Amino acid sequence: METTSTFEKIFRGTALLLIVLFFMFPILWIFLMSFQTNETILRIPPSVVFTPTFENYQALITGKLTSAAGTLDIAFMRNLGNSVFLSVASVAVALVLGVPAAYAFARHKFRGSEDIAFTLLSFRFAPPLLVLLPLTQYFQWLGLADTYFGLIWVYQLICLPLILWIVRGYFEDISADVEYAYRIAGHSWFATFRKIALPLAGPGIAAAGLLAFIFAWNNFVFALVLASADKQPVTVGALAFVTASGIQYGQIAAAIVLSITPTLAIALYAQRYLVEGLSLGAVKG
Amino acid sequence: MASTARERKAASGFRISRKALPYVLSLPALLVCIGILVPFLSAVVYSFQRYRLSQPWARQFNWGDNYINFMTDPGFWNTLKVSLIYAGTTVTLELILGLGIALLLQRRSTVNNFVSIMLLMPLMTAPALAALMWKLMTNPGFGILSYFASLIGLEDFRWASSPSSALFTVVLVDIWVYTPFIMILLLAGLRSLPTQPFEAAALDGVPRTFVFFRITLPMLTPYILTATLFRLLDSIQQFDIIYAMTQGGPGDTLTVFQVEAYLNFFQSTNVGRSAALMVILWAITYFLSNVFIKHWLRLRERARGES
Amino acid sequence: MTTLQLKNIVKRYKSQTVLDDLSLSVADGETLVLFGPSGAGKTVLLRMVAGVIEPDEGQILIGGEDMAEVDAEHRGIGMAFQNFALFPHMSAFDNIASPLTATRSSKDAIAAGVQKVAKLLKIDHVLSHHPKALSNGQKQRTALARALAGSPPLLLLDDPLRNVDAKLRFEMRLELPRLLAAQGATVVYVTQDYKEAMALGDRIAVMSQGRIRQIGTPAEIYLAPADIEIARLFGDPTINLLDVVPKEGPDGIYVELSDVRIALPGMPGAVVGKSCVIGLRPEAIVFTKAGAPGAIPVAVEAETPLNEKTVTLVMTMRKREVLVSRPAGTPGPASGPAHIAVDGRTAFLFDKQSGALIASAAASMTRNGEAA
Repeated sequence: METTSTFEKIFRGTALLLIVLFFMFPILWIFLMSFQTNETILRIPPSVVFTPTFENYQALITGKLTSAAGTLDIAFMRNLGNSVFLSVASVAVALVLGVPAAYAFARHKFRGSEDIAFTLLSFRFAPPLLVLLPLTQYFQWLGLADTYFGLIWVYQLICLPLILWIVRGYFEDISADVEYAYRIAGHSWFATFRKIALPLAGPGIAAAGLLAFIFAWNNFVFALVLASADKQPVTVGALAFVTASGIQYGQIAAAIVLSITPTLAIALYAQRYLVEGLSLGAVKG
Repeated sequence: MASTARERKAASGFRISRKALPYVLSLPALLVCIGILVPFLSAVVYSFQRYRLSQPWARQFNWGDNYINFMTDPGFWNTLKVSLIYAGTTVTLELILGLGIALLLQRRSTVNNFVSIMLLMPLMTAPALAALMWKLMTNPGFGILSYFASLIGLEDFRWASSPSSALFTVVLVDIWVYTPFIMILLLAGLRSLPTQPFEAAALDGVPRTFVFFRITLPMLTPYILTATLFRLLDSIQQFDIIYAMTQGGPGDTLTVFQVEAYLNFFQSTNVGRSAALMVILWAITYFLSNVFIKHWLRLRERARGES
Repeated sequence: MTTLQLKNIVKRYKSQTVLDDLSLSVADGETLVLFGPSGAGKTVLLRMVAGVIEPDEGQILIGGEDMAEVDAEHRGIGMAFQNFALFPHMSAFDNIASPLTATRSSKDAIAAGVQKVAKLLKIDHVLSHHPKALSNGQKQRTALARALAGSPPLLLLDDPLRNVDAKLRFEMRLELPRLLAAQGATVVYVTQDYKEAMALGDRIAVMSQGRIRQIGTPAEIYLAPADIEIARLFGDPTINLLDVVPKEGPDGIYVELSDVRIALPGMPGAVVGKSCVIGLRPEAIVFTKAGAPGAIPVAVEAETPLNEKTVTLVMTMRKREVLVSRPAGTPGPASGPAHIAVDGRTAFLFDKQSGALIASAAASMTRNGEAA
């Protein structure tokens, strides 16, 4: 379509290189750091030449850090476990609640359905602390303070609107006639939902679930406000880590690597759906 | 016909009436969210109270006092200023960068697709963890970025720990995390544009700057608006990066709305002030999200019309 | 077999009235064609009968039973959709089997049922394919097979031939009456194609703007269209419509075309002096020799050979265009001046203002059994 001059080629190449460098360097650097001891990390000038060590990961996984000063317990694996549990459970709950609601919003234009849907959407945009701060007190009264149940409930603030809006779009993409045809053939609405709507929207539901998982995993503020140390996910746990005495920098790096790997892996797997998911269905990928 | 429709219906047993069905399906999701609405209302009530956790006996309605006090409260104006500067700077820079990168990657090729997937990684990194990564890189003792700074003559550049460079540092982290968001939205937009106008312009030998400003930009506007509003809504509420990086410091350099409200609640236990701050932030986001939702609805209508 | 009755159905979408106080009844075993332009409300009506859309007002009775509280799956209906609406994630077999699985019959009974209807529609060789792998014609047949598989007493066919090519449509038009007759079901068939309507309908209900404008046998509709609009919809090439003012002479009522008198026997005297539109079917106009009685001089403008007929566009002295149709292969002028003759007994007279049919000589002929 257009002739590319040598200058433009060089310009594009350089620009791309700089972009990749800027965006990939921190991840790469932290990754390298996680295989180093404090000695090699503290070298000046820094160097990428070092003998990799798995000590950091070992310490995190066993939960025991042995140093000259003695043995230190690290609860990081517990944080990682909390992250997995909270994210999986939140997404599961959001799917169970959100998919039928999404179906109702997509298929039945009932009175007030648009208003309700937008109210739910607006939760996505409200400042979380507005709700979280009073919620700490309610949770005290309800006995939900520092419980997984309470946390999973609050996580619905991010997971539910996401599932609802993305999955609704996928249901709307299914021709209504296809569902009508199944009902007229003699099947109940529930059979139609199960045998027609769910399988056809299946890939979209899966993608929405994965995205909701990423958002739940990456959340910081909910657990910061509502969870004590033994319920905290990695995002909060890793922060506490930095200030813990006796921790080695390589271990922080290793903890970060372990914490971001699941979301990065999912993102790579579901990248086709990311655009649609991130814009809540406003932009088709 | 052996049985009448009515009999067959009765045989099928449990049945939800057609009118009630959508409500039944959406009710659980609604109930969960209504649970969240209650604390929202309490926050509004608190914002009209003199309410300190340390002096629960002195709790009483002072009506608009919390808000009126803001007028003469330099702390509040600082919060407003820092929040707006933060949101304005990050969104503007991310928009320019994101658009630039999207234009660079517009043509589908193996390299471009690979780069665009790579760029998703920062976006998928938890912002709190991203802040931690940058904290490690800007550590005065061993941080690679501190070392680079010293190489270009900035000995003792203190990144987030100095009031003069703290904002710069958190903005940098925000850009690192969120530029890819704008980039992938605009890239999706660019790649979905019809090709005819561009081919026609190329045939006519129209200068490329003209094509960009007169064809590309106008056609991309809905996508740019979506991305900008999304980012603006998030950025004005930024908490994770700033809190993880500096906890609002040094001093009150970075006490944006949510950080200030958090500190007010948990450190100075001034619930009333904290709630009032959140209500003001909510008003701002409510306005923005209404603009956003209206725009978003139009987009959806259009997408539906086209497909 | 069953009967279908619709009583005073009203359906509105926002401020728009889609169905306006519509009543209709279909007899046991009858095939009723709903014919009309798109947007007439045919599809909405069909979906209402199927039970997937609810009427705002009115009653639907199937086999004499009120359907208000009966869900779609309990109405005993088979339906074929214009866009086929096949289940994309199921094989053709499972698609066709869907009405059978609903009744929880045994696997063997289901397989036998599917095989039977698939053979009937000549798609038994593609049963394992998914819809994506089917040709358009096979999709259409699969959709039809699915509608028939459960042997429903009431069949709703929503323009099933709309999305298939002309050749297939022609084949199916011949094949469908036999199929439907074999099924023995009461059928409501929606179409926009008048030939389909004529070929398939025991009766035709002509719909437009949410109302039924005329209902009757194909012959009744063709020979006595209730108004200009219906006359225009039925017939290919389109009926000739010319403004006239009937006069009364010694031999009865007549109109003048290019100063030639055309007698209109049997027309009521009230039409005299009134602004009317005369409708002349192109096949009721013949070419004739100059000087023959009633010969009207015209100029031939264009000739279009269609398959089984030749259509000629001629221009009268007053520059009015008239279409003349004759069987292909019969002689006729290809260009230049010519003469046409009109048989006044085949003409329709419509009121110019309201468009309603005032009288047609042909209608009385049907009653005598001479035409059709």
